[in-house]
Amino acid sequence: MIFPSSLSRLLSYELKKWMATISLSITQRLAYKVNFFLLFLGPMLVFFLVQYNLWHSLFLFREGAPIGGYTRDEMIAYQGWVLVTALLTQGFHSRDLAQDIRLGRISSYLIYPFDFWQYHLGTFLGLQCIQLCIATTAVAALFFTGVFQELSATHLFLGVSVALCAGLLWYLIQYALGLFAFWIEQTWTLRVLFALIASFCSGAIFPLELLPEWAREIVLLSPFPYLTYVPVKTFLGAELDLPLPAPVALTFWSIVVWGCGKLLWNRGMRMYTAAGM
Amino acid sequence: MDPEITIRCTNLSKNFRVSEKQAGLAGSLSSFFKRTYRSVPAIQSFSFEAQKGEIVGLLGPNGAGKTTLMKMLTGIIVPSSGTAQVLGFSPSERKRAFRRQISLVMGQKSQLWWDIPALDSFHLLGKYYEVEHSQLHHRIQELADLLDVHGLLNTHIRKLSLGERMKMELMASLLHNPRVLFLDEPTIGLDLVAQRNIREFLKFYQEQHQTTILLTSHYMGDVQALAERIVLVLDGEKRFDDSIEHFESFFGGEKYVQLELEAAVDTEDPLWKRYDTVWVENGVRADLRIPTHRFHHALREIFERFPVQNFTTEKLPIERVLTSLLENPRLLEQRGESSLR
Repeated sequence: MIFPSSLSRLLSYELKKWMATISLSITQRLAYKVNFFLLFLGPMLVFFLVQYNLWHSLFLFREGAPIGGYTRDEMIAYQGWVLVTALLTQGFHSRDLAQDIRLGRISSYLIYPFDFWQYHLGTFLGLQCIQLCIATTAVAALFFTGVFQELSATHLFLGVSVALCAGLLWYLIQYALGLFAFWIEQTWTLRVLFALIASFCSGAIFPLELLPEWAREIVLLSPFPYLTYVPVKTFLGAELDLPLPAPVALTFWSIVVWGCGKLLWNRGMRMYTAAGM
Repeated sequence: MDPEITIRCTNLSKNFRVSEKQAGLAGSLSSFFKRTYRSVPAIQSFSFEAQKGEIVGLLGPNGAGKTTLMKMLTGIIVPSSGTAQVLGFSPSERKRAFRRQISLVMGQKSQLWWDIPALDSFHLLGKYYEVEHSQLHHRIQELADLLDVHGLLNTHIRKLSLGERMKMELMASLLHNPRVLFLDEPTIGLDLVAQRNIREFLKFYQEQHQTTILLTSHYMGDVQALAERIVLVLDGEKRFDDSIEHFESFFGGEKYVQLELEAAVDTEDPLWKRYDTVWVENGVRADLRIPTHRFHHALREIFERFPVQNFTTEKLPIERVLTSLLENPRLLEQRGESSLR
């Protein structure tokens, strides 16, 4: 039996481990100043040079006629929220994780009394703190440049909450993809394939209303819309007609992907050889 | 398990599944459609015990299975069969209580975080190992004093030299005062002074804390300076397990002679073959192994026939014993069970 004092001591130690890992993750990202500033500026530049210009030209070509029920300003705002959502959800990539496995670098984490998944989750949470700052700057910049014509505190709060939960789902998917490095030498093909499908089916390139009805219904049964479309619509304060409420669907998909990750880890560890050590 | 026995493994084996591919395009195509695998035994029926506070040197050529054994004993990989117990735990279960009491230093692989100063890494590891802040501070000061690295604690790991980084790796591995320390090539790539410093530090530390140390190194200086006992691994099997003194006197009936000649001589002369001669400088400097009972006779013959400028004789160095055994493992068979514990 664990006595309350022992339990609080245990919790205090665990909390310190998590906080230290989150702090390490932030410190590591601040270590390279140029990279850090590019993290801030890069997404904004891509938005104004690509997304904004693309949709602006399309609407000019159509002489301002709506596309899929979106006016020019609504579509630009949608794309602006896609950028903010991407900052909050898709910052983590499994590239480092896969390399750690392939090159046998996970051996250190197998010895530390803080598990590999805990370390990576802590790193992800640290990254999310930075991404939250970048996303806040992006929201301010898009508001002052007129891309967002109005901001509602409620929608902003709900949107950030849904986006952060979607970020956790994204992280779990990336983690599971990274674990394939136990079996395949190069996981980048999997990552590229996933990124392509995700950008098409999640509503990141265009709103899902532009898909035929049957395709939209199928896509809504997958986890992809919850990565972009659902958070964006929440930011916009739009009504959503979903098979399951967003929090339930996000929880469901997170548990499914987490289970897959656990299975992959257990199986992968049985054949891990710690090559190169 | 006897509390004095820190490490015990019984019939431990590990087989790796290795894919095979024929050379060339045809081989690549055929392996793309049908890959063939073979099982490679890395460690076979390995039984071994280490007492509390003992320093054991694991010796063997590349690919002998030393590192595989370390990986199994630290819980990094799972054995194919047999049992391993370290501090009463089964390493492959990787229980936290087990991980808190061991440490591994890999000379070929950094375990510290490259993008941050060593001190930050130490604080993080202090949290992971649940070391109290004041105790951690004291440990960092103590180890930094011993290794003379106070000025480097705030430098990013990526900016340190190899020797400096190794000192930091050692510090990191000892912050939680582990009961068992696994050292895999801890001085690899270091210059002679750095090697000596690290050996002296480890020796001092072990004497203070009675840590059980399992060491692999290709530098015999490490083994000679630190290990009390030697385990020789060849092709995944234990072939020698006894004190370093016994190992050094493996060729007990022989003397080791270093010769320096005034001018180059015929290295193909049958005399040299009789004494297992190794030419350090072709025809001019040689190392010989001469049976004790033939010592005087052999030296007289050499002096009579060759222009000897200088010679020294000493006990056979451990490096030479190992080289001779690796070149001729049959010598171990001749010794048989007497060389195994």
